Amino acid sequence: MPETSSQQPDQDPVVTSSLSVPLLISALLLVLVLFWSLYDELYGQRLWKSYQDRFVKNYTSLIQKQLPAQAEQEKQIRQSPEFQKLEQAAAAAEDAVRPQIAEIDREISQVLTPQIAVLNKHFAEARGEVQALQYQMETAASQRSKESYRKDIAAAENRKREAELPTGNGVVKKITFNNYGEMDAELTRLKARKAELETKRIELLKPAEEARRKRDAYMKDHLVGLTEAQMQGLLRKMQTFVMDIKQIHVADVDLVDRCESCHLATREPLKITKAEMGGEPAFTSHPAPELLEIHDPERFGCTPCHNGNGRATTSVEKAHGKYKHWLWPLYDRANMEAGCQECHIRDMVLTYADTLNQAKALVDHRGCVGCHRYEGYDPEPEQLQIVQQTISQKEALKHQMLLDAQRTISDGDRAPDNKTAQQLYAKADNLRVMSSGIDNEIGELDRQAKNLMRERKKVGPSLKEVRVKLNRDWIPVWLEDPQDFRPGSRMPRFRLDDDQRKAIAAFIWQAGVPGQLPSRPKGDSNTGKELFETRGCMGCHSVGEGDNSVGGTFAANLTRVGEKANYEYLVRWVHDPRERTRPYCPLEKRDIGPEDYQKAGLPFVFDPDHSTCPNDGHEMQVQQMTVMPSLRLTNEEAQDIASYLITLRKKVPNSYPAAPYMDDPALKAKGLAWVKHYGCAGCHEIAGLEEEGRIGTELTKEGSKPIERLDFALLTHKAEREGWYNNKGFFEHKLENPAVYDEGRERPPLERLRMPDFDLKPDEITALTTLLLGSVDSALPPRYFHQPEGQGRDIQEGWRIVMKYNCMGCHVLRLGQRSVIMDLPRYQDPDWKEQIPPQLIGEGARVDPVWLSKFLANPALSETDTNRNGVRPYLNIRMPTFFLSDHEVAKLVRFFEALSSEQGPYIPPKLEPLTEQERSLARALFTSPGAPCLQCHATGDPRHDEKATAPSFVLSRLRLRPDWTRRWMLDPAMMSPGTAMPSGLFKPEANRMVFAGPTPPGFEAYKKDHAQLLVRYMFEFTPEEQRRLAGSAPMPASASRSVPNPTRAALQ
Amino acid sequence: MDWHQLWSILSTPDNVPITALLFLVPFYTWYGLRQAFANDRLIAQLETDPVLAKTHPRKTFPFRPGWSKEVPVWPYLLRIEFLAAIIVTVILFVWSVALNAPLEEPANPNLTMNPAKAPWYFLGLQEMLVYFDPWMAGVVLPTLIIVGLMAIPYMDANPLGNGYYTFKQRKWAILAFCFGFLGLWVLMVIIGTIIRGPGWMWFWPGQTWDHNRVIFEVNRDLPDIFGITSMVGKIIFGLIALGVYFGGAGWAIHKLFVMNEFNRKIYQRMTLLQYLALQFFLTTMMLLPLKMVLRLLFRIKYILVSPWANI
Repeated sequence: MPETSSQQPDQDPVVTSSLSVPLLISALLLVLVLFWSLYDELYGQRLWKSYQDRFVKNYTSLIQKQLPAQAEQEKQIRQSPEFQKLEQAAAAAEDAVRPQIAEIDREISQVLTPQIAVLNKHFAEARGEVQALQYQMETAASQRSKESYRKDIAAAENRKREAELPTGNGVVKKITFNNYGEMDAELTRLKARKAELETKRIELLKPAEEARRKRDAYMKDHLVGLTEAQMQGLLRKMQTFVMDIKQIHVADVDLVDRCESCHLATREPLKITKAEMGGEPAFTSHPAPELLEIHDPERFGCTPCHNGNGRATTSVEKAHGKYKHWLWPLYDRANMEAGCQECHIRDMVLTYADTLNQAKALVDHRGCVGCHRYEGYDPEPEQLQIVQQTISQKEALKHQMLLDAQRTISDGDRAPDNKTAQQLYAKADNLRVMSSGIDNEIGELDRQAKNLMRERKKVGPSLKEVRVKLNRDWIPVWLEDPQDFRPGSRMPRFRLDDDQRKAIAAFIWQAGVPGQLPSRPKGDSNTGKELFETRGCMGCHSVGEGDNSVGGTFAANLTRVGEKANYEYLVRWVHDPRERTRPYCPLEKRDIGPEDYQKAGLPFVFDPDHSTCPNDGHEMQVQQMTVMPSLRLTNEEAQDIASYLITLRKKVPNSYPAAPYMDDPALKAKGLAWVKHYGCAGCHEIAGLEEEGRIGTELTKEGSKPIERLDFALLTHKAEREGWYNNKGFFEHKLENPAVYDEGRERPPLERLRMPDFDLKPDEITALTTLLLGSVDSALPPRYFHQPEGQGRDIQEGWRIVMKYNCMGCHVLRLGQRSVIMDLPRYQDPDWKEQIPPQLIGEGARVDPVWLSKFLANPALSETDTNRNGVRPYLNIRMPTFFLSDHEVAKLVRFFEALSSEQGPYIPPKLEPLTEQERSLARALFTSPGAPCLQCHATGDPRHDEKATAPSFVLSRLRLRPDWTRRWMLDPAMMSPGTAMPSGLFKPEANRMVFAGPTPPGFEAYKKDHAQLLVRYMFEFTPEEQRRLAGSAPMPASASRSVPNPTRAALQ
Repeated sequence: MDWHQLWSILSTPDNVPITALLFLVPFYTWYGLRQAFANDRLIAQLETDPVLAKTHPRKTFPFRPGWSKEVPVWPYLLRIEFLAAIIVTVILFVWSVALNAPLEEPANPNLTMNPAKAPWYFLGLQEMLVYFDPWMAGVVLPTLIIVGLMAIPYMDANPLGNGYYTFKQRKWAILAFCFGFLGLWVLMVIIGTIIRGPGWMWFWPGQTWDHNRVIFEVNRDLPDIFGITSMVGKIIFGLIALGVYFGGAGWAIHKLFVMNEFNRKIYQRMTLLQYLALQFFLTTMMLLPLKMVLRLLFRIKYILVSPWANI
């Protein structure tokens, strides 16, 4: 209250109170905060400092620990007599030239160098004077002053100059130069002399240099790890270590990677493990240094492969890019190879990326491309579409041109004068000529279409054939759960309710193409089983469930095939899987029946040679779009195998509950809608849906899809909480359970997620996730992308075909790879080992490419006698006919050539013809008991060939390359370990190879190479020669009496 | 209650100023008003005691006899300002060390972020976009805000209250300002930051910001409610409605303004131009709360609908 306070005057707080305490406190706070910010700036934000500190400490002690052992090892090598000898040789070589070297060194260092230095100075002065005058003369305005300058120049050039040159022994030589030119000449002479001496010095030191190099190479070959000097060098490097940001900067791509500021050991020459560096994972050396050799870090940096934020240095999370706003976080260890995919999009098989290889095989095998477009995979349908559209356009164009020509002619008829009329007629002629050119283009396009239609394959079987192929009542059961009927099937599980399943089954059944198969007599199922197991079926197919399954996983497991398939259909399928009931015309978009052929007056015959449409004359799909080849079996054999297959079942086919609704026409329309909805036509050929597009999202750039575009639906917050709200998490959960993002949502069937369940194993999920993560829209410039050209491209294109047709089921194409056949129980038996198909490593160097292309197109090497192998008739297993397109054959041939680094085109070398004497010598050697060639190699005699284990020599000339043949004869075991061909047939002698066994008489005088003689003989080998040898060989002459030689027929 | 969501909004470095705003604005409003009320009491006391008015020192209440009549700026004011400068420096240091700049990924032209929010100081304007035509919310109203703020000294006919805090002598000005600044500007910034989530939907604090949330809301224009369908009819109706609003609001503001003796005196001092300008800015400002109520409670979008501009 004012009254009370007026009596007791109190202090005015504004004037009297002290602010010292708050000031002090805040000033102290300010100082504290200042120090904090300094600390944060120097250490808090620069974590790498402490990393570098620890690294230097740990690495120094590691080197010091390893150094004594290494030094000891080196010492032992140094004391070894071999090294001593080399060391002495080096010393001796050095001693030998020492006086000469000393003389040269003396002249250079004491005479020439000082003289040149002195003279240079004088010369530079003189030159300066002359050049300055020269410039003034050139820029002088008047002719007169030019003249006067010219005089000055002449005076300067001709002035006498003196120089005092040291001569090396303390005496100074005084030289007077009469003019500038003399001085120049002297200087040039001195320099030339010096250069000459230096060259001589190098020349003299060469032997010593060489001896030292040999010594050091010996050390390098025998010492495991680094030498003592190198280790000491590393120690010194640690002692002079500079603490700073270690940065890789690639200017033209704006790449700045500071990863090595902490990951200091990445490129160290020592192999460093986590345990050796105090358990710090940041300090290990790169686990695959050979990859760093291909991708030099100075050019590639780290983040293009590994991702992460290369610029960031403030924290581990920031640097690894593991925070919300960094779009390219470090790949997890499991998905590391995603980084490879970023640039190696075009590679089908990558040497160091097995996870990716697995994923790429899966994409094809499980039919991901049936629904999802992925650039480079299954491109045939799109190409085919383009070709067909172009054909239609060209035809319209041609029609228009002919129409124009007609009109022009009638214009010409009505033309007022002759000249105009002639012009118009000429124009019409031109139009007609042009239209004939279009005919040619259409022809070419038709050929392309033919190739493409042969190459185009579907993942699943054609559903046009269901009516002749399947047990009707089995279809709905299969649709319910394919994996239950056939575990491991390619067909995924769709989430269908009862109505959907019935409708789909009914549609498929009713959409089947009508047809009737001829009835077939039953075969012998025991023979069939034997054939099934020996003809090569098991390279792709397996029989038996679970752990009992035997055979390849490329194609269907046939354990229960007898429950679903008709016998007649199996016979046709086994005999020729490409046979269709009706051909399909892509231009008319329908299956062509006998009535169409009848209209055109043609027989109902269609095969790769009769593939044009009777209605429009363009190419049709005349084969089933399956990769299953023909094994060229006889009808009887096919019946035997089908009879065996029909016995493979767990229950009787008619024990399936009857499904009369399959013939209900009302269900067909409903089923069609569902079949379209689920994209069945992506993997199956279905009547009426041949042109259906892919229903899924394109995956080529899926990895760089922003997280906002990935629909986590109601799981968004769960994913955020559990830490998988990122691309990786999305892919993994989606692949594990494709319906996962429908969780909690209640939607009508049409709005639910459509992707079926593939029952992928965890490693397959990881592989596919890796592929998807690596499928990004890369920001790297094009030069970083691996765009294989020439042989590299040939190899990758070849791998595509090899994978497509599963060549590796029977053949070995990569080192360390095992074919399915090799691991079958039957082929473990030593008798059967020889029945394993040939391995194809080095095939490109072995065979003539022209022959190879003929062989691939027709492995029987014959048009008529097809029930056999063309090259190795003794094998039970068949090289099947794949009906490859011309493109594919060419690609495969180039693939094999490229794998063997053979540069095309191959021109067979001319071999010197044998003289009569040489021929008889070679013949003698060929049949000598030391080299019984014809004991194993086929001769064309059926009785002998049953036991033969090697191809006939008649084929050599066209099939093999002579240089390879010679190398093969010298050491076959090196090229193909385990081959039946004996090694050591020849031994080196002087500059040639001579036969190691007892040579037949007459060879003493022969001074040329024995192996080459045999090669030349083989390349002149004819069926007549073979018959002649057979006559003289220690085998029944009747064997080769009049055997019609099929091989010869094939070659002609 | 999703505490994690609330925390993630409040703790984002972008939103730190707004979180501070939540506490600082009420505090300083209270602090300023406390001083104003103290001064009002002092004025009342001095008006009854002319002697004291002569001897009374500075504008302090209650009266202190021993206090000096005046206090020099140096050192008494400056030392306090110095202390304040140190404290602010300390706060800035801590802030800059502890929180990094809120940088995000490079902009992707193919992808709009959701919610896409303006910088915090513009969130009020962005919130206005919900209630007005972009042309109104983005151009006309911001211009009027600036022009209105510039016009205040020219419309202000009240000579009192210069140099000291007072509420009694400037009731009208303070209430109008507080309504405009606190009620419309600061509140809208806070709504824009804390309430508006994905799809610019209304999420109460603590409600999870669900990108999949779907709400059903059909907005209507005022003419639609009255069943007017023709364009001309709508324009005429809108103009009439706006005329009714401006007339009514102007009348109400006038009634409020001349309610007490003091304001009537001020009103006498004002020229017609001054008064009309004041009326214009106040009625325009009141459009915003009106439209908020219409939009949020009655789902009415526009009053005036025309092909050229909507209000």
